[in-house]
Amino acid sequence: MTKTAAKRAWRRYWPRLLFLLPLTAVLTVPFYNRLEPTLAGIPFFYWYQLAWILIGAVIVIIVYLIETRLTHTAEAPKALVDTPDAPGDLL
Amino acid sequence: MKFDLTATIVFVGLFLFITWIGFIAARWRKADLNLLHEWGLGGRRFGTVVTWFLLGGDLYTAYTFIAVPALVYGVGAMGFFAVPYTILIYPILYLIFPRLWQIARDRGHVTAADYVRDRFGSRWLELAVAVTGILATMPYIALQLIGMEVVIGALGFPAGGFVGHLPLIIAFIILAAFTYTSGLRAPALIAIVKDMLIFVTIFAAIVIIPAQLGGYGAIFASVPQEKLTLTPPGAGTLGSYSAYVTLALGSALALFLYPHSMTGILSSSSGNVIRRNAALLSAYSFILGLIALLGYMAIAAGVGSDPAYAAGFSQYGANFAVPALFLQSFPSWFVGVAFAAIAIGALVPAAIMSIACANLFTRNLYKSFWRPDCSDADEARVAKIVSLVVKVGAVVFILAIPQAYAIQLQLLGGIWIIQLLPPILLGLYTRSFHPTALLVGWAAGTAIGTYMAAAQGFATSVYPLSILGVTIPGYAALYSVVVNLFLATALSWVLDFVAKRGLTSKPSPPL
Repeated sequence: MTKTAAKRAWRRYWPRLLFLLPLTAVLTVPFYNRLEPTLAGIPFFYWYQLAWILIGAVIVIIVYLIETRLTHTAEAPKALVDTPDAPGDLL
Repeated sequence: MKFDLTATIVFVGLFLFITWIGFIAARWRKADLNLLHEWGLGGRRFGTVVTWFLLGGDLYTAYTFIAVPALVYGVGAMGFFAVPYTILIYPILYLIFPRLWQIARDRGHVTAADYVRDRFGSRWLELAVAVTGILATMPYIALQLIGMEVVIGALGFPAGGFVGHLPLIIAFIILAAFTYTSGLRAPALIAIVKDMLIFVTIFAAIVIIPAQLGGYGAIFASVPQEKLTLTPPGAGTLGSYSAYVTLALGSALALFLYPHSMTGILSSSSGNVIRRNAALLSAYSFILGLIALLGYMAIAAGVGSDPAYAAGFSQYGANFAVPALFLQSFPSWFVGVAFAAIAIGALVPAAIMSIACANLFTRNLYKSFWRPDCSDADEARVAKIVSLVVKVGAVVFILAIPQAYAIQLQLLGGIWIIQLLPPILLGLYTRSFHPTALLVGWAAGTAIGTYMAAAQGFATSVYPLSILGVTIPGYAALYSVVVNLFLATALSWVLDFVAKRGLTSKPSPPL
């Protein structure tokens, strides 16, 4: 890969590095394999992982927003939505 | 078990309702169902919301709802690996599948095998992808029947014999009929009803049951403490830690390679629909995490030692934990709702899986190897018939063969399906892989993975790999796909080298 191509790829795809966060959170088993501190009676092992489902979702939303609004990596849906025979964007 | 009339009436009523929906689905977004992409992919017109319901209904199956809490009930923390697995699947979905969708849409691919043939120009690789997909999915369909059988048994129907299997057979005849007439539109519409029922059930379960048992603190206190965390590994082994992580990672990498996931993804209307769902589907993951905790609630409620459920446990093992918990905690009519949610939760993925198998068979075996000149209508007709054959096969499988085999085959299915990772995923990003090298890697990975499972007597897919005196127990699928990947890369390099020296080679065509 040439230097400019690498630069362009970095500009397009840097938000995707955020996906390393959930991966790291999952891989560090010795860290979360514990009972304390509990949350509303639920041991750490369980609420930590349940919380990461939600954090993971938020990260995906952030990456999606950056890629559609800022870097335009993910193409915005085409204007097909309004025509009668168009495939549904929402439904 | 005593026959529960109220619950059965509610259950049958909901079942009739979704049967009706399944048939009217043929008229939803009316199109010519004699075209395979209309029957088998819903015309690729599902938007964010419908795709959310469809993929949610497709990936979080009835068997998951029964087996995950059963595993937590039985082994404790290790059974919770389903949660890190669901954390990892969404980045994978986001990173990879919008691109695959785009290529499939532009070039008219209906299956993953279509894509692989187009990409690498190899019918043998296409055949390997199609056969692997069908073999891995068949036992998965059979397992959905197990989920359904458990709840039908829990309603108090007599178990065993032809009479005992009758409700199951009737349910599958209904399923076969509406899949035949409506194609993928049927599970897409039914999934909406199914998910509503699941949400109501789980919401009730996480509120009502802890209240009855004295709160979450009391529930976790009644579970043996050593079950609540993974056993820390001893000297010279990574023990349960590496097993937990590799199971999560391997299952996450394998999930979207399954034909039924692929069908769900390809039926969406744009790449952004897939990207949005990568975030939104987490709602199901969260539900799954809560469902996993039902295993502990079953321990706290003491259903295992209650004589009223002894017959159920001896018949279905730990899989009976959640039905028993519901029977104990909910009024009869709500038990009917909850069990209907699980049973319908079996029908939706079973329908999508049979459609996915039918698409693979028709496109990549029938059309590619037997009748290349068949008409579009012919193609759709064959797919519809194959979807029937697949379901009959699953029913016969579950009635004629001990259940343990279905579970073992499903475990092998995970190992087989992950071998499609190099041809499907890597092909999206690079043209440097050679079809012959991919085929060799696939064969070697499949053989080694199967050997690893066989070495454990097919009882578990966790293989104790020894490296330099350290034992690293891990998911055989992940280990074997590393071998596959290594061979595919190394051989591609060798074949390229040979080609440069003037010998023949066939680089893959650009897309």
